Amino acid sequence: MRAATLEGTPSRPADLLRPARRTGTAPPPGGRCASVLPMMIDVPMLLPAILALHAVVAVPLPPLVRRLGPRAFLLAGVPPAVSAVWALAQAPAIVAGRAATAEVAWAPALGIGLNFRVDALSLAMIVLVSGIGAVIFCYCAAYFHHGERGLGRLAAVLVLFSGAMLGVVTTDNLFALYVFWELTSVTSFLLVGHDDRKEQARRAATQALVTTAGTGLLMLIGFVMLGHAAGDYSISGLVADPPDGGPWLTVALVLVLAGAFGKSAQVPLHFWLPGAMVAPTPVSAYLHAAAMVKGGVYLVARLAPGFADADLWRWLVLGFGLATMLVGGWRALRQDDLKLLLAYGTVSQLGFLVLLGGAGTQVAGVAMIAMLLAHGFFKSALFLTVGIIDHQTGTRSISRLTGLGRRMPVLAVAATLAAASMAGLPPLVGFVGKEAALEAFVPGAAPAPGPEGSAVMLTGLVLGSILTFAYSARFVWGAFADKSTVSERGFRRPSAAFVAAPVALTAVSLGLGLAPALADPLAQGYAHDLPAGHHAYHLSLWHGITLPLLLTGLVIAAGALMFVRRRAVSRLQNRMPRWPDAEYGYHLFVHGVYSVALSVTRRTQSGSLPVYLGIILATMLLLPGARLAAGLITGEIAVPGVQGAFRLWDSPLELLVAAVVVVTTIATVREHRRFPALILLSVLGFGIAGLFVLHGAPDLALTLVLVETLTTIILVFVLRRLPTTFSVRPNGWAKRLTVLLCAAAGTFIALALWLMTAARTDAPISQGYTERADEAGGDNLVNIILADFRALDTLGEIVVLATAAVAVASLVLLNRRNRVVDEPAAEVAVEAEEEARLSAAAEEHADSVAAHAAAEPALGQGQAPARGAGAEAGEAEMTVRGTAAGPEGAGGESRAEAVGGGPGGGEPAEGGPAGGPRPRPADAPGDAADPGPAPPDPGDTPADSADPPPDPRETPADPDDHEGSDDGRP
Amino acid sequence: MADLESAYPVPAGRADRPGGPPEDWEAPRERWLSTAVRPAFGPRSVLLEVATRLLTPAILTFSVFLLVSGHDRPGGGFAGGLVASMAYVLRYIAGGRHELAAGIPMQPNRLLALGLLLAGGTASAPLLFGRPVLEVVSYTAVLPLFGKVKFASYLLFESGVFLIVVGLVLSVVAALGARMEAEEYEARERGGAWGPEEGGAA
Repeated sequence: MRAATLEGTPSRPADLLRPARRTGTAPPPGGRCASVLPMMIDVPMLLPAILALHAVVAVPLPPLVRRLGPRAFLLAGVPPAVSAVWALAQAPAIVAGRAATAEVAWAPALGIGLNFRVDALSLAMIVLVSGIGAVIFCYCAAYFHHGERGLGRLAAVLVLFSGAMLGVVTTDNLFALYVFWELTSVTSFLLVGHDDRKEQARRAATQALVTTAGTGLLMLIGFVMLGHAAGDYSISGLVADPPDGGPWLTVALVLVLAGAFGKSAQVPLHFWLPGAMVAPTPVSAYLHAAAMVKGGVYLVARLAPGFADADLWRWLVLGFGLATMLVGGWRALRQDDLKLLLAYGTVSQLGFLVLLGGAGTQVAGVAMIAMLLAHGFFKSALFLTVGIIDHQTGTRSISRLTGLGRRMPVLAVAATLAAASMAGLPPLVGFVGKEAALEAFVPGAAPAPGPEGSAVMLTGLVLGSILTFAYSARFVWGAFADKSTVSERGFRRPSAAFVAAPVALTAVSLGLGLAPALADPLAQGYAHDLPAGHHAYHLSLWHGITLPLLLTGLVIAAGALMFVRRRAVSRLQNRMPRWPDAEYGYHLFVHGVYSVALSVTRRTQSGSLPVYLGIILATMLLLPGARLAAGLITGEIAVPGVQGAFRLWDSPLELLVAAVVVVTTIATVREHRRFPALILLSVLGFGIAGLFVLHGAPDLALTLVLVETLTTIILVFVLRRLPTTFSVRPNGWAKRLTVLLCAAAGTFIALALWLMTAARTDAPISQGYTERADEAGGDNLVNIILADFRALDTLGEIVVLATAAVAVASLVLLNRRNRVVDEPAAEVAVEAEEEARLSAAAEEHADSVAAHAAAEPALGQGQAPARGAGAEAGEAEMTVRGTAAGPEGAGGESRAEAVGGGPGGGEPAEGGPAGGPRPRPADAPGDAADPGPAPPDPGDTPADSADPPPDPRETPADPDDHEGSDDGRP
Repeated sequence: MADLESAYPVPAGRADRPGGPPEDWEAPRERWLSTAVRPAFGPRSVLLEVATRLLTPAILTFSVFLLVSGHDRPGGGFAGGLVASMAYVLRYIAGGRHELAAGIPMQPNRLLALGLLLAGGTASAPLLFGRPVLEVVSYTAVLPLFGKVKFASYLLFESGVFLIVVGLVLSVVAALGARMEAEEYEARERGGAWGPEEGGAA
């Protein structure tokens, strides 16, 4: 089966666009395809099954890759290949205007469903996503080495990405589109960060995720607004019957465009695309040339028929598209790294595609489809070429490559043809598309934009095309030319199978260029319902001597001149003032978010329990308390009569218990020593339990007694770490306010309870519980309620309990992995001196680490060094794990101090004056720590949440923490 | 740990309690607990250790009694779980963190996970048969010795609650008690004085 895929694949792209003529009869021969296809013709809609196939194939891939090595990529290529073949079998019907549809219900009541609809635009995208995808999977089999780290994950995620992208381009529901869209963002994140040991890769992956998923969220808001305005969340319905205009429609469209621009790397969000080039080259070729970045283009083109005439749409699309085209082209000229050159070229081409797709005229639509296909084929071929060059020679730097044209002639010819397609030279498909694009903006020829706008756009397009020509020439020269100043490197010839992929893709470029009629039905299928100009436009190599042809001549001449005078151009570029870097804006934004989060956290999370309690009590008094007071004043809330129903007690024992409760309460408040206060507090709790017993609730009493006992014991653990007495508060306004607040809160609670128990209007729900309990077969009503009637509540509560347990353990153990001594290691008797020596050494290490983090290395109470220092000191400890007593980490000590200080006493000052320098947001991530003791800020102590996670090294959850929390079991 | 700890002679008298009896005056000479004992607080105590040794099985049995009798009498999974965890807390107080580690059947996190699995599984099992969530299935049998005994699915649910409560308490004890104690121990070994905190607990 694998062999069939390998052999079949290179020829498949060439077949891709032929079924238009073949009218869907014979699929390309190949063992597997032949067996699948007849079924497809019978069953028109296989798409959901194909999507599922992607997921199914992804699951066994990691172990398969471990066993088979990169050859398993051939299996990974099966789902995209099936998808491409299926789509091409559907092509004649789709081009004829009969879109293939399918529906899988998801949440029909909310208008969410997995509805699929494959029309001409989707078909073109499937050709890119699945057709080129299949070729790239085959290429991967030759590109990657056996045993490369994380290869199985890469393969699985790549297949998942392929499926998600297929979903994006075929779904007809806005929500499903969003889900697939974000799936591509997430898988792209994993793929860009493939080499997760490189910080650069992690950073680029995060950047790509933040940009695409962040703008994706805006897009979701836009989708909801659009769907709400139209009352229909299906895309085809939305485009066919767009909602009426209005400011909200404009806002919605701007939000949707933000998502599309983020995904398609439009200026000023383009920075993530060059950054994402740290991904392996096949991944870049697939995600960042053929498939994912086309998502935005697809969305713009998808919505354009319905919304191109809406306010702002055309200007946003044309403006951003043109700016992106020019900026990308200009920056591509500067690059020395071939891959980065292509990346900026892709940015430029994406701008071009967005403006074509968004223009919303028939010729522009035709041009968009042609350019979409052209770009997919030539750019992926070029990326794969760079991959081969990098793979064989070990570099992709223009200044270090020479003579490759002589030594890899086949590849050189293929890449040159692909680059020629990129530059728009006949007879390649790039030329065909570019002719159509220029035609679309000939003033007066198309219904929109107006003549002035068209003139501006045409000028911009010509400039962009000149830049494109220049960097295409630079690419070919840089990759293959003989350079006298560079010494030649020795390398092995690439295998034929390796070179096959770019050659096949280039062959498609050439074939489509020579026979543009193959792609024309597809383009017409998409563009036919867009507003047309005076006459129909068909893709063709020769339209006669027209303005676009003359302009192409101008482009070639000027581009060639730019290439020949490249030294002058690069001098000019160096002399230009550096415009503000968009990536800088991204970092500014991220740091802004961090610092706002920090300052909010610092202000709201003071870490002082009295303040928290005060806020809670004040809120309680302010909201329900004020309402209660108002109700009492207006007489809205009836005061239960004192006479008659009012009883002081049921049994005189209650009075005794109440007296105990009151006395212990007062004594607790007046007690200045912690331990006696704790004992008094538990006596108070037992008193309350006594009240329950007297009221005939033994279950409650039992539970309360147990809880009180346990709480007391646990508080004793904490108390041992705290000073003997509470700190004495000065008799100031703060104390008076506290007393007042507490008294008011107590009064409110008592009053509210009294009024509430008397305020019953309906029969209590508990009536009839007794009979029901008999029915349920139990005598203990409380327990029947807990475990049967209200078991769902109990289920929720135990989930909360479990969460709280994990949270408490993590809070206390934060930052102290391997704190508890390892039992097995401890069993070895360690001599005292040796231990002291080791810990001293480790202390030195910890100190140096702490000093590196610019934190005060001295140990002891009142130190709360920055988290970075703590973490690294923790690592220092790991190095001496095995001694019974690990050294005191610089960070560890004070953290417990702070946490212990919180619940126990609530005096933050005791937890240490928080000498802990807090990370400055402006610092470079990782060493975010102020030197020296920071100004004492009692509020900051336990606020670990105030630490920003800027450094990905710190963010991943540490499995050791969980291991550690179980207290060093043997 | 055993050899290591016994290798340290316990000092007679403590700096913070001058004039008192020697620290180990009530220390047992026999081994009552399963590990080398280093209590959570203060010196070893024969009374505490013997009581722990004797009471632990009784407390655990009582907790199971509370669990199964909960449907007709006071008790239930929550109370039972609290009682069971009390046994471990007692063991920890008497014998220190190693004793606790030796005594608990599995890591607290696993207890939590198992409990959630049990409760969630019991809750959702009726779904498999097209019944509503948390539907109770019961079966009454007449056993030779016990008489009429009812087996009901809420007992499984309550067992989940029981395990989660034990897991919660154990993880809090492990976090707040044992972890801090370990640090204190380290600090003591390194010669650092702990200052006034000891007094607070004593």
